[in-house]
Amino acid sequence: MLNMEVKIGSLKLKNPIMTASGTYGFGKEYGEYYDLSKLGAVVVKGLTLKPREGNKTPRIAETPAGILNSVGLQNPGVDAFLEQDLPYLRTYDTAVIANIAGNTVEEYCEMAEKLGSQVDAIELNISCPNVKEGGVAFGTKCDSVYSITKSVKQHCRVPLIVKLSPNVRDIVEIALAAEEAGADCLSLINTLLGMAIDINCRKPILANVVGGLSGPAVKPVAVRMVYQVAKEVKIPVIGMGGISSWQDAVEFIIAGADAVAIGTYNFVNPKAPVEVLEGVLGYMEKNHYQMLSDFKGKVVL
Amino acid sequence: MDNEICKVIQNKELTKGKGIYEMVLQSEKIADAAMPGQFIHIRINAGYYPLLRRPISIHSVDKTKGTVSVIYHIKGQGTEELSRVKTDTAMDVMGPLGNGFPLLGNKKCAVVGGGIGTAPLLELAKNLSECDAYLGFRDCVYKIEAFEESCKSVHIATEDGSVGYKGYIIELLEQNIADYEVVYTCGPKVMMKCVVDICRKNKVECYVSIEERMGCGIGACLVCACKVQEENGEWHYKKACKDGPVFHAKEVVFDA
Repeated sequence: MLNMEVKIGSLKLKNPIMTASGTYGFGKEYGEYYDLSKLGAVVVKGLTLKPREGNKTPRIAETPAGILNSVGLQNPGVDAFLEQDLPYLRTYDTAVIANIAGNTVEEYCEMAEKLGSQVDAIELNISCPNVKEGGVAFGTKCDSVYSITKSVKQHCRVPLIVKLSPNVRDIVEIALAAEEAGADCLSLINTLLGMAIDINCRKPILANVVGGLSGPAVKPVAVRMVYQVAKEVKIPVIGMGGISSWQDAVEFIIAGADAVAIGTYNFVNPKAPVEVLEGVLGYMEKNHYQMLSDFKGKVVL
Repeated sequence: MDNEICKVIQNKELTKGKGIYEMVLQSEKIADAAMPGQFIHIRINAGYYPLLRRPISIHSVDKTKGTVSVIYHIKGQGTEELSRVKTDTAMDVMGPLGNGFPLLGNKKCAVVGGGIGTAPLLELAKNLSECDAYLGFRDCVYKIEAFEESCKSVHIATEDGSVGYKGYIIELLEQNIADYEVVYTCGPKVMMKCVVDICRKNKVECYVSIEERMGCGIGACLVCACKVQEENGEWHYKKACKDGPVFHAKEVVFDA
């Protein structure tokens, strides 16, 4: 039997396959397509302290091998999540990770308090490009990443994952700041800031003008960033950005990712995470790997 | 639930050079489950461009043959590529998805469609015992015979006057609105807004099928948000794909 186990701080995942926040709702829709217990973890839609309606539509634009989105953190708020959405996820044998976004450091801390140990880990969203306040404003400077991570960590009773923005000059510098502040794990990358224009009316396609690029188009950027960060930090790294096949997942693990998340491709193939899991298992069998560490981070230079 | 791999039975243009196509797919499972107003989510090809599926309303279902048909207009690269798909190609299809039209067959009904929005109204008309159709087009008409087979009377309007009444279909609806208890509509926003206004003034129940750019098609990604009004006047976003695409007219806010 292959060992697919992954440790994120004190949290043990049965396998490294996760879903990326914002592409998976609270799991219910995908629960109609497969047994969510097959997943290592479900990362839920970004939560805010109060309910949020999100941005105006159009919120999506298709671009070559990718999409731009500007949903703007539409969510029912952390209290409604705990009451209405978490119980469903708890019927499955999978870790539940709450992604949180706030306008102020205090809001992040308050959400971490409310979530307590009702979820298995918290992912700190300081990289959303689609909201005016907070979001990415916290995630692009070392000192703000350090201070928000340190503050939230004091209120966080479960492992704290910091999700990094790729819209920075030096991703390693940011990663090290989060690690030094006490992050238990890093996840990368969030979306790349992009724009698309309708040439007939000369208007941006997104109502929000700009949005976050995701999908296969961003994969090489994500692989590069995971590779650079994983080499420098001691904490585990969750790799994501355009994973659309088991081969992509294996590539991220070779680059240094301890676990991987499938995002945009859920929209194309709702069963993608399960197919990726089966493919990674097949790859390990074929290459006689017993555990993920047999090939994790083993880029041949 | 599973995606269906469906064979293309037919994929042909309905209008000479106007880019309106009908695709017929073989799928007993989808045909069996489909309700009027629902849609299917079609993957154009196995590659990464176009990446997203295309959500297209179900036009007609043949439960005995196990086939589903959709009508689409070439608008961009996805539909352009779809139009080149050959007969017998295996397509990856999700569906039927979404909430369709409530079937109020015991009432006097009218279906009111504009352009490509006429497409989902055929399957609806087939499932209503007594129904009239009001079909508006810009300059070319299609699938009129199919509506004539399923409706008591069919009213046509074209903007250029090439077929039927010269003008907008809402003008014909307005003349006859007193004959109906329920109106179902699908088409351009401006047209649907007029239909909703006419129905409100005449106290006729109305259902609208709305369109938004979609991602996942199953309610997870939240990109197809549409404004829905509460009884108390407050609004919030609902999902066109999962809560809709059909909504009661009193819920829909046409402001975008």
